[in-house]
Amino acid sequence: MTHTLHRQGPIDSFEHDYVVFSMSAKNYNEKNSNVALREFIKILSKYKVVNMGDMKTGGMYLVDQDKIINNVQDTSIVHAVFQDKEEVKKALREIKEADLGISVIVTGIVNEVQDICQEVGIERHTVEYSVGIRGKLSRLPEEELLEITTMCGHGMVSQHLARQMLLDMKRGKRSAREVGEILATPCVCGVFNPKRAQQLLEELAEVWCFDEF
Amino acid sequence: MRIDAAKCVGCGQCHQFCTMGAIYFTRSDKGSKVHCFVDEDECVDCGICFRSQVCPTDSLYQINHDWPRSIRGTFSNPLSEHKETRVPGRGTEEMKTNDITNRYKRGYAGMAAEMGRPGTGARLRDAEKVFKSLAKLGVEFEPNNPLTGLLANKQTGEMNPEVVNEKVLSAIIEMVFPLELVIPVLDVMEQVAEEIDTVFSIDLVARVDEDLAVPTAKVMEKHEKWFSLNGKTNLGLGHLRVKGAGLS
Repeated sequence: MTHTLHRQGPIDSFEHDYVVFSMSAKNYNEKNSNVALREFIKILSKYKVVNMGDMKTGGMYLVDQDKIINNVQDTSIVHAVFQDKEEVKKALREIKEADLGISVIVTGIVNEVQDICQEVGIERHTVEYSVGIRGKLSRLPEEELLEITTMCGHGMVSQHLARQMLLDMKRGKRSAREVGEILATPCVCGVFNPKRAQQLLEELAEVWCFDEF
Repeated sequence: MRIDAAKCVGCGQCHQFCTMGAIYFTRSDKGSKVHCFVDEDECVDCGICFRSQVCPTDSLYQINHDWPRSIRGTFSNPLSEHKETRVPGRGTEEMKTNDITNRYKRGYAGMAAEMGRPGTGARLRDAEKVFKSLAKLGVEFEPNNPLTGLLANKQTGEMNPEVVNEKVLSAIIEMVFPLELVIPVLDVMEQVAEEIDTVFSIDLVARVDEDLAVPTAKVMEKHEKWFSLNGKTNLGLGHLRVKGAGLS
């Protein structure tokens, strides 16, 4: 269950990619935690989010935000994706103030997240890094496609869909924005960043060569 | 997942959603209509082709598989929950609730091998190879992890033989051990990586020190091992008096 770890790409592509999410702990503080989890996602939704979701309901490119909020359950894991560090800071300040008691996790450049914590007056507790991929690396798709597909840690965004969307863009059938949003739909947690995908795809469309026909 | 050949019009819109690339075109005889089919041996029952709702004739359908095939869906479909952990997907809450559970204490590290991630899928016989190699180091596998639950012998890492040919989108081997074992465990992972027919992604977790430094970062830097600059931070805001929990 490390669905927001292992996002790949050059470090500057993470400067506008933060996932803020929360869950309660089974057998500790789960009972009736839906109230706090709902307040958490409501608070985040007031800020400039580029995606949000809960796997109990889906992501905001599949269902509407109110439905996500209203369907929050004790066992939900609720997520929102931000592009802007200042927005994350403001949202976390409000979350801290609300003292919800549920665990809050932020995925992003670890040092940037630490800066935010210091400014908001939060002492970080635990940190998780990716140590990379091992094994039969020849089975992986191109690095550029992995930068897109790894934004859904459950692997729901297939390389074939990314490839097809890239081809549709190249042929002028779809815009980069549209493609970013389509690629976000399989990600039921709502942790896929369609804006980052849009930016990566815009850069990629120019250089990508479809020689597979 | 299956496709009703009689209803399918062979448009192929589901093909691109398949995480395993296991949907193909076929026709029964020369001159008969083209339709799609799922290579069920390669399919991991993640359900994304069905949930994408792109089929114009509702030809995709999911059947309830018996054991051991049933584990494909519980590991691969994030909407499925494991009965034992009630956590959807592949693993546990790991560091996400460490501020409450204290699963990763100071002086310890958590490591995981996410078999089949990113996007290749994994046969559990490959997970067994990794389990067996790690077991020789004497590490303890996370008891609440659903993959640990498929071990026939936790000391040797041998899996239930009924499941080893099953394929999942990904499944996580999770461990906690003293910090000094991080590099030996990583070395073992790198050795066994050469013997498997899939990939795995490696996670490294630690509770921060009192000065808020990350001990695992120090270990990796000291041994000149790569680790990502982006990662997950548990902010330590959790506690047992959850707001509103008495009101619901």
